[in-house]
Amino acid sequence: MGRLLLPALALALLSGGPAQAADSPPGASSCTGCHAPMKVTDSVIPRIAGRKAADIVNFMREYRSGAWPSSVMGRIAKGFNDPEIDAIAAWFAAQPE
Amino acid sequence: MATRRAFLKLAGAAGLAAPSLASAQGPGRVVVVGGGFGGATAARALKQLDPKLAVTLVEPNPVYMACPFSNSVLANLREIAQQQFRYDGIKGTGVTVAETSATAVDAAARTVTLANGTQLSWDRLVLSPGIDFDWGAIPGYDEAAAQKMPHAWKAGAQTTLLRQQLQDMKDGGLVVMSSPANPFRCPPGPYERAGLIAYWLSIWKPKSKLLLLDSKDTFSKQRLFQDGWAQLYPGTIEWVPLSKGGKVTSVDPATRTLVTEFGSHKADVANVIPPQKAGAIAARAGVTDRTGWCPVEPVAFESTLQRGIHVLGDAAIMGAMPKSAFAANAQAKVCAAAIVELLAGRAPQQPLLINTCYSLLAADYGISIAGVYRPDKGLLAEVPGAGGVSALSAVGGLRGQEALYASSWFRTITAETFG
Repeated sequence: MGRLLLPALALALLSGGPAQAADSPPGASSCTGCHAPMKVTDSVIPRIAGRKAADIVNFMREYRSGAWPSSVMGRIAKGFNDPEIDAIAAWFAAQPE
Repeated sequence: MATRRAFLKLAGAAGLAAPSLASAQGPGRVVVVGGGFGGATAARALKQLDPKLAVTLVEPNPVYMACPFSNSVLANLREIAQQQFRYDGIKGTGVTVAETSATAVDAAARTVTLANGTQLSWDRLVLSPGIDFDWGAIPGYDEAAAQKMPHAWKAGAQTTLLRQQLQDMKDGGLVVMSSPANPFRCPPGPYERAGLIAYWLSIWKPKSKLLLLDSKDTFSKQRLFQDGWAQLYPGTIEWVPLSKGGKVTSVDPATRTLVTEFGSHKADVANVIPPQKAGAIAARAGVTDRTGWCPVEPVAFESTLQRGIHVLGDAAIMGAMPKSAFAANAQAKVCAAAIVELLAGRAPQQPLLINTCYSLLAADYGISIAGVYRPDKGLLAEVPGAGGVSALSAVGGLRGQEALYASSWFRTITAETFG
């Protein structure tokens, strides 16, 4: 058993254990369906990983209020309250750009 | 530098955390059946979230045929090759891909049997089998009839068959489509298809008409579709709702005739989208109810009928969340994180999920529907006040912008799912 576990454990330790996404806040994992977690060629949808948390919070609040016009983000932002937006923004800000 | 003793101590701690891991075979085994947007995403996410997990993806086809954007193939805006995705990227993440199908599930013994005779043990099983057709639902419509009157509701040979029939049709011909009652894969799909076929007809066969026979009186993004059809293809599409005799009660493939309660329609090209149910392995695993679909709880999407088995995507009853690729991908990421927590003996968090579905009415004309969902009374419910459809009056090139977002979304979600 130990022999089987060792390589897996070593891998886990090297990569800092289970990836950070394990504790992503509610809602965050849905965002990457459109906002690519990796570089994607030929997409007009901006990546948000590594953006400043304050910027993400501002965009989400302005989309939600309609102050910043949008096609779809206003409809989505209306589903999130301030603490939820703050948590998602902090999490994306901590991801590699 | 960690010593062997430290490693073993860690291993012991990991083993104690979750009783289900007390097996000699590894620190947590998850088998995922079905390599579509739900299953492929789940397999990748599980391995990414916890590299110690042994994750096996069971999928018989070496190449996945994506359904989103397959209506654009019908309209000659894309080639079928652009719908194809391989599993090499997933293999590269450490997921074991078993290129065979699952034939049986023993929920009590926690095993799945594969067509090649192998039996896999699991601590958690994820079923993402997509849909199967309910071949008995429309008399006359069986697998042989689908060669004459394609469904094209699983992308691939059926898509190219329907496109070929459209190309072979005389100008002035009648295309007849039929759309099923709810629930079914991709609620806006039949209407996107009608619009894109009309787009293609308007260029190549402008004297032709399209009749859309519907088993419903309302449909997704209805006002946007109908406004767009009237504006872009006036007089080309006739939609017949249930209350006006739209329900197809039988078909005759030999004459390409669709029969409704109010009459019959002889088509030059017929596209029958039949009623559907969860992919066959779901019933064999005992996770379908009498509707043919799979009831799940709304946090980890674990079956309410069999413990330890999670169901994702089109096969599952997800409350207000529609059967879409976006939804399956979003559910898969939530499910993977929940499984990691469950295997560690912790309770998964209450999730929030988003769905966004784009539809095209022309190459440069897109519309969308979105929703935000959270668990409520045992189901995923829409967060009130959020979601909805694109603005009814488009300003500032909105429809063109949404068409661009649609193709960007497709590139992103396929990259996230298949690598």
